[in-house]
Amino acid sequence: MAASGVSGYAAISARVRAMYSSLLSPQEMARLSDSPDFQSLLAQLKPTIYGSYIEELKEKELTPRRVVFQIKGRLADVYDSVIHMAPEHTRPLLTQLYRYFEVENLKAVLRGIVTDPTWERVRDVLFPYGSMSVLPLQAMVEAGNVSAAVELLRGTVYEETLSFAMKRYSAEQNLFPLEVALDLNYWRKLWQETKRLPSKDQQQALRVVGSLIDMNNLMWAIRYRVYHELSEEELINYTLPFGYHLRDDDIRSIAAGADIASVVQRVYPGIPDLNILLEEPRSGLPLLELQLKQNLMRQCMAAFVGDPFHIGIPLAYLVLCELEIQDMTVLLEAMFSRVSEEKYRPYLLKTALVKA
Amino acid sequence: MFFPKEMMEIELIVPAKDLLAVTKVLSGHGVFHQADSSYPSLGSGNTWQESAAGYAGLERRIQVIMQTLSIDEGQPQANKEFETMGDLDVIRSAVEGMEDEVKQATDQRIAEKKRLEQLESTLHQLQPVADIDLDISSMRNSRYLFSMLGQIPAANVERLQTSLARVPNVFLTLRSDISKPVVWLAGTQANADVLERAARSAYLSPLTLPEEYQGTPAKIIAALQTTIESTNRKIADLEVTLAQIGKTRIEQLRALLWDVHASRVMAEAIVRFGQLRYTYVVTGWVQSDDMESLTQRLKTASKEILIETLPTTRSGFNSNVPVAMQNSKFLKPFQMLVNTYSRPRYGELDPTWFIVFMFPFLFGAMFGDIGQGLVLALLGYLMASKKVKALSGLSGLGGVVALCGASATLFGFLYGSIFGFEEDVHIFGMKLEPLWISPIHHIMDVLMVAVGAGVVLLILAYLIGIFNYTVSKERGHLLFGHNGIAGFVLYLSLLGFGGASFGVLPVSPTVFLALAIFAGIGVLFSEVFIHLVEGHRPLIDGGIGTYLIQAGVELFEVIISMLSNTLSYVRVGAFAVAHGGLSQAIFILARLAGGGEDGGFGYWITIILGNLFIIGFEGLIVGIQTMRLSYYEFFSKFFTGGGMRFEPLTLKPVQEE
Repeated sequence: MAASGVSGYAAISARVRAMYSSLLSPQEMARLSDSPDFQSLLAQLKPTIYGSYIEELKEKELTPRRVVFQIKGRLADVYDSVIHMAPEHTRPLLTQLYRYFEVENLKAVLRGIVTDPTWERVRDVLFPYGSMSVLPLQAMVEAGNVSAAVELLRGTVYEETLSFAMKRYSAEQNLFPLEVALDLNYWRKLWQETKRLPSKDQQQALRVVGSLIDMNNLMWAIRYRVYHELSEEELINYTLPFGYHLRDDDIRSIAAGADIASVVQRVYPGIPDLNILLEEPRSGLPLLELQLKQNLMRQCMAAFVGDPFHIGIPLAYLVLCELEIQDMTVLLEAMFSRVSEEKYRPYLLKTALVKA
Repeated sequence: MFFPKEMMEIELIVPAKDLLAVTKVLSGHGVFHQADSSYPSLGSGNTWQESAAGYAGLERRIQVIMQTLSIDEGQPQANKEFETMGDLDVIRSAVEGMEDEVKQATDQRIAEKKRLEQLESTLHQLQPVADIDLDISSMRNSRYLFSMLGQIPAANVERLQTSLARVPNVFLTLRSDISKPVVWLAGTQANADVLERAARSAYLSPLTLPEEYQGTPAKIIAALQTTIESTNRKIADLEVTLAQIGKTRIEQLRALLWDVHASRVMAEAIVRFGQLRYTYVVTGWVQSDDMESLTQRLKTASKEILIETLPTTRSGFNSNVPVAMQNSKFLKPFQMLVNTYSRPRYGELDPTWFIVFMFPFLFGAMFGDIGQGLVLALLGYLMASKKVKALSGLSGLGGVVALCGASATLFGFLYGSIFGFEEDVHIFGMKLEPLWISPIHHIMDVLMVAVGAGVVLLILAYLIGIFNYTVSKERGHLLFGHNGIAGFVLYLSLLGFGGASFGVLPVSPTVFLALAIFAGIGVLFSEVFIHLVEGHRPLIDGGIGTYLIQAGVELFEVIISMLSNTLSYVRVGAFAVAHGGLSQAIFILARLAGGGEDGGFGYWITIILGNLFIIGFEGLIVGIQTMRLSYYEFFSKFFTGGGMRFEPLTLKPVQEE
């Protein structure tokens, strides 16, 4: 019988809480964002948990792309460690959650093949997924074209998903159907794994996984309508019928042309000035996404309050780690490109959370 | 024998003109472990990096050709000398030539296989409508009716239906399939665009029939089946062609592969050389025994080479010295057990010899039985000899299993047990009596002896630890370490205190108590004393209060672990008793199976199955317990490990250690 409850979670709960304390505090993040330039930022990062990852780079390799690649290694280590500590019955869910980065790698490789098929260029934008991935990414890039690259995925979990999408790619020569198919397949499987958990774990996991799905599904629906101008039927087919607060009716309303602000307001009543945000979608949508991520961050932090013996805590921690690395990426890119503070600061999730 | 092989550090200054000759000597004999000396460099290292990448790419391409032709890599010729590095352009054109030769047949095979897949998929989609007597093209070209027959991902079926809720349509699943159901979507031509977009977005892949397939589904299915047969024949022919190419090219491909492999190894080695204006700096490690012959070869290869050698001391910090073990073939399985825990450091005693005696001893003591031991010994022999193919994968463990079996047999004589029978057993007319003791009948005695044996082993472990500290000249740890002299004296005095308190030793317990307190103080302040002796400052990291609390808890833990490590060996006796108990349970079951009779068919079948169960199940558990006692109780007292493996440059493949 699978270990659950106190016996199953005592060790992982304690370890994850200890690891949680190594996340950067909003104050530390604010201090980092006060760095005058890229080099000072790197110097400030050295005493943090990311220091050992950056130290592996030689002086000439200290570019934002390489540094981001290195610090993503921290997230890979965290996933590896949490998956191995987690009770047996929760590992399929955690492994599937981690697979997000494998899917992103796959998408990056496909984009790389279309734009600039050299492994040296593609390699740096990949996530250091490690030994859990068996995808032949380098061979795919070297294959030189999308069809040959996808052929190399035979026997992997992606073969079936891409077999249908490839027919559309062959006809349309556009990566969109491939990427959508990969995304939908990933989130469906994540949802299925969540639903397979016993009731207490499932309830807690749904808070985190469901919130992630809500955020992505809502942003897809809005973007498909605003940017891609897809038909009602297409929009429905390219989105998911499940979530935590977001209902299929909401998605169908957006697809049918309902007022987006009122749908978002129903699902996320706490977001201020929605109408103003969505007045000019091209500038407003990134800010809306930021608000949704902050909301997700709060949900994850709330998971640490109360009963600690469930899968919600490891899941929340993993998501928080990822969001922190997103913040670090913004900061590193902004500092390197000398973007002014007022332009990038609103995009830092943690510091904005303090202000909120 | 007790230490890893002696190493020498070597530093070479090589004139640029002799670079290749020297590299060949260094990488051609499997004696030189290279250290990275590529920094600082004056440039042009990139040229070698490019060459190395070029060779690596060609090596991969040759391997792909060989895979396509189902040719294994084989081994390079035994007397083959890799004189020079292959010319990249020449090799590239040879590889391209062979790729072209193979490509035509493989491309055709891939195309035919794809075609076959499509044909089978079309067949699969048409089979559900095989009975409909209607020309397929009439549905396709209908004026008023939109119709689409095809496959869709199973996960999208429901979503497509949802998306079409507001569009009049007929949607039928003709063939349920767990991943690719066959569906039919129909509606009016007026809604064709909406239906088509919806179907496309749900990844519904419509059935497309080539022009040559006309008529009713049944007619098309028959035509498809004929084409599938001919396609299968074509694929088989292409495979014959590829096999023939493989047959004619096998030697050439293997020779090319090993040439490129050797060139890559040499290029990669040069990348790690430090490059100056006219010379290259090479550093690394060589086993002392090989030093002389290597020096001679290097001097033959380059008259102007400068060679500096530095003997390596086993004391102090030497974790950067690679470790080559020097155990005989017989000891390899036991060395594997040690390496699973960790590889010894250069200055550290290799515990393989201890494990050779201790592992079978502990196993045999827990599993003592003449018959079962002989079965295990035979099994180990078969594993090691690779005579049984199914066991050849476990050949590395064969020696361990065989020796454990032999030990179990010896203990079987000491316990008087054969296949679980302990009473009234006659072998060759002689009654089998325990030469020493029957564990099940003398439980307390066996347990006491087991703990006693544990004490002896732990004392041995402490002594080895003290020896290691002495050799590595870590004086602080030697005197005050938990596993140094202070820890050892504490352990002995605690044992003495226990013995004297129970009247086993004719000395007052107070003497041992005083000694224990004295040694305990040494352990309590070990960090301070170690820092003092080894010249580290500050003596205490952090405040004195924190240190005292931490050191107090550590001392408590040391004492507890001494107790638990000692008592842990009680399991040796406990398993010897349990072995007898389990055998008795088998006899009870056997009598039940034989209808209360000793000697019936059911009785003997149960005895045989029971013995097999004991050998498999208990043997495994005892093996794990032995490993635990070796790793956690014994090794933890003296073995640090963490040594770096000696990996010499070699142009030919080497067997894993």
